[in-house]
Amino acid sequence: MKKKVLSMFLASAMALSIVACGSSNGGAATESQPAATEAAPAATETQAEAPAAEPETASELTDGKFADTRKITVEIYDRGNDGGSDPENNMYTEYIKKGMLEEHNVEVTFKKVPRWTEVDDINNLLAAGEAPDICVTYSYPTVLTYAQMGGVIDLSELIEQYKADTPNLWAWLGDQNMLWDKDPKTGTVWALEGRRAEQQRIVTFVRQDWLDKLNMKAPTTTQEFEDMLIAFRDNADTLLGKDASKMVPFSTSYDVGWRASNIITSFMDPNITDKEYYINGFDDRAVTQAATKDAVKLLNKWYNEDLMWKDFALYGSGDTTEDDMIKAGYVGAFQHNWDYVFRNGEDAINSNLQRNVGEDAKFVPVDCFQNSEGKYAKWLYSSAGDRKLFFPTTNTEPLASLLYLDFISKPETIKYLQAGEEGVTHEVLDSGAIQIIAAEGDAIQNSGKNIDYTITCNGTYFGDQKLADLSIAYGYAGQDPELVSAADKISKADGLEPKNVNVGVIEAEAGVGDTLSAKRDQVYDQAVVASEADFDSVWEAGIADYLSAGGQAIIDERTAKWAEYFGDSDMLP
Amino acid sequence: MSKQAGTRSKVSFGVYMKKYWQLYAMLALPLIYLLVFKYAPMIYVQIAFKKYSLVESVWKLPIAANHGWEYFIKAFQNNDFKYALRNTLTLNLLDLIFGFPAPIIFALILNELCFQRYKKVVQTIAYMPHFLSWVIIYSLALQLLAPNDGLVNMVIAKLGGTAIPFLNDEAHWIGSYIGFGIWQNFGWGSIVYLASIAGINPELYEAAAVDGAGRFRKMWHITLPGIKPTIVVLLIMSLGNILGGGFDRPFAFQNNLVMKVADVIATYVYRVGIKGLQFSLTTAVGLFQSVVGVFFLLMANFISRRLGERGIW
Repeated sequence: MKKKVLSMFLASAMALSIVACGSSNGGAATESQPAATEAAPAATETQAEAPAAEPETASELTDGKFADTRKITVEIYDRGNDGGSDPENNMYTEYIKKGMLEEHNVEVTFKKVPRWTEVDDINNLLAAGEAPDICVTYSYPTVLTYAQMGGVIDLSELIEQYKADTPNLWAWLGDQNMLWDKDPKTGTVWALEGRRAEQQRIVTFVRQDWLDKLNMKAPTTTQEFEDMLIAFRDNADTLLGKDASKMVPFSTSYDVGWRASNIITSFMDPNITDKEYYINGFDDRAVTQAATKDAVKLLNKWYNEDLMWKDFALYGSGDTTEDDMIKAGYVGAFQHNWDYVFRNGEDAINSNLQRNVGEDAKFVPVDCFQNSEGKYAKWLYSSAGDRKLFFPTTNTEPLASLLYLDFISKPETIKYLQAGEEGVTHEVLDSGAIQIIAAEGDAIQNSGKNIDYTITCNGTYFGDQKLADLSIAYGYAGQDPELVSAADKISKADGLEPKNVNVGVIEAEAGVGDTLSAKRDQVYDQAVVASEADFDSVWEAGIADYLSAGGQAIIDERTAKWAEYFGDSDMLP
Repeated sequence: MSKQAGTRSKVSFGVYMKKYWQLYAMLALPLIYLLVFKYAPMIYVQIAFKKYSLVESVWKLPIAANHGWEYFIKAFQNNDFKYALRNTLTLNLLDLIFGFPAPIIFALILNELCFQRYKKVVQTIAYMPHFLSWVIIYSLALQLLAPNDGLVNMVIAKLGGTAIPFLNDEAHWIGSYIGFGIWQNFGWGSIVYLASIAGINPELYEAAAVDGAGRFRKMWHITLPGIKPTIVVLLIMSLGNILGGGFDRPFAFQNNLVMKVADVIATYVYRVGIKGLQFSLTTAVGLFQSVVGVFFLLMANFISRRLGERGIW
């Protein structure tokens, strides 16, 4: 009997749940519909209203200020540094908030996003309609994907309309970076390109004290570099004593395309045409470029001769295992960002080496990978191609957001954000150069040159190019200026500057960026660790997989676009 | 009987509810949980058949090409999805073959131990890995098994052997993956069996002892048949999961060298859907996965009932 009642109850509960499900279904529908209709006009508003609103704008700002306080949110990277400052609340955010309120009557709130998973996090925020009003990302394909879904404001008219209100922004970025991403056909501008004040990219570092111990000179050719690695390997006992088994002559990470970039570039044909480079240029690690295979073959040989770190592929992005090995002094050479060993003051690699290994232990920059013309060719950054700044359609304050970018691009602002306060974060040397010193607490810059805040500017600028040039060697607290200066010079020597091939949207690139970069890393990693006999087949299989996952479609579309805009020409006009 | 029951139940339903309403009130909470987190999200299954956009409401999205089947077709033309499907099946099957019997064997062995205290200690130690997250287990695995500086390989190197690529060679990786899975789960999984064994009538053992049965005979003829219903129910549930499986275990264990065998549907969906923003495609994949899962579940249940065992409903 009870059983019967129970089953009746369960049945009714079931029926109820279905009804409830149906109504929640309907509820969600009615709920989400107005939300959507709300969003849709907002989008059309910003686009349609923009030209019509012109006369209004004059009255919207008085002396650059809004009559009523506006509120905007700004994305800020959270790097999770040990002992860093709170990215949402520190000396620099205070400066920006105060400045924006005083100059434009705009209240700024920062919204932190983890640096190493920024794209995933922004995806989620956008999907939830909670993205910051000003978003920052390094990935243009990501911006395009959002734009194609209708999630990004077209800035083309806004930036022209408010040009007079944003003189600093235009002055700093110039037409080139403001309009870098302007579609040649539709005229849309989905993102503004932040400017690189420094264009140095990657250099090779080797342990000077190991060279000294073995009476060797710094390598100047690829062969000498290899000989040096062999010497490191064979003299592990001399160099590391009881830790000899931990010897890693050449270290890399899962991101081989970055961490062996100078080697890969040295194999590239010096006379490569713009067309060929562009067609294979989607991947910034050059995995589909013709000569890359030969470069990786060399790495494969080194790997199989125990010249490289065996476990490199097991550790993912953001892992510190390799850095810890380098800091502990087990690594002989590696390639990385030109200033990698100088970064983070007390915690810099060279500072750690001095503490852990000895006074004379240090990494020095070397230049040894020659191309077929005997040049030490290496890629530079273009002055654009850094952070992309975009406004999601949930942004209802495009003018206030543009004013933010203008404020951030003011020379004084850049100087303050990069140099901080005298005596706290920098000292002024006799020459006038700015020497960065180790800061504490709120004044700590979580990123080098504080680039996370200077989103329109990457690299030393201090609001004055002369001062920047003078100060570049002094930009790293506690580091030897001569070494910094040497790394700066080497990173620019025989540098190749990328060119902007603007042929509009390549449809095939949308949505595949992450998949393809993951694939590219797999191709590199698997090829490097393959046995020498299997190398060719592993490489070919990997590339075939990369191409079939979307790489070929991009190459085909790029080829077609090139023909459409430049015809038979192999070089850019 | 039925007439009587009908009239009496009407009377007693009110009485019954009056008496026990608190229990049903308590049941309301889990029901709401299921509705909110398990049923409401099903509304969004429709994006598998629609062209997804971040900003548009799901109800207004246009139907995808090929009468809404565009993304299913796309998925099955995609090599990565095929690999992921294959790997999900292989890894789950291996888990089933090696991982499913482990807790049963462990429970049987544990049941034979005479020292109660020793048994309890062993049991507790065996449970512990269940409470570790896969991220932590993978860091343990790295510390132990990395080719260069993993403990195991350092010992092998000291003994004059060559390092074994536990984590960076495809075949070895599968072994490590399955091995750690068993290690994490066998203790915890044995609880149900131990409980089930405790429910077996002790008189049966006594009778068998009188008949001259030894340990293995008793195990074979009494303990195993005694826990057979439990085994069948758990087997059905694992079969329902053959195309499912967690996300964190493969995700934590993956690395670039073994992706060909390590990428499973859950991680594929994460990478392509959430990271690559191709929500329609990955919803289609997820839907396919669920439908096949339900099919397996029904099949297993049907077969078990045919074989005279109780199903799960």
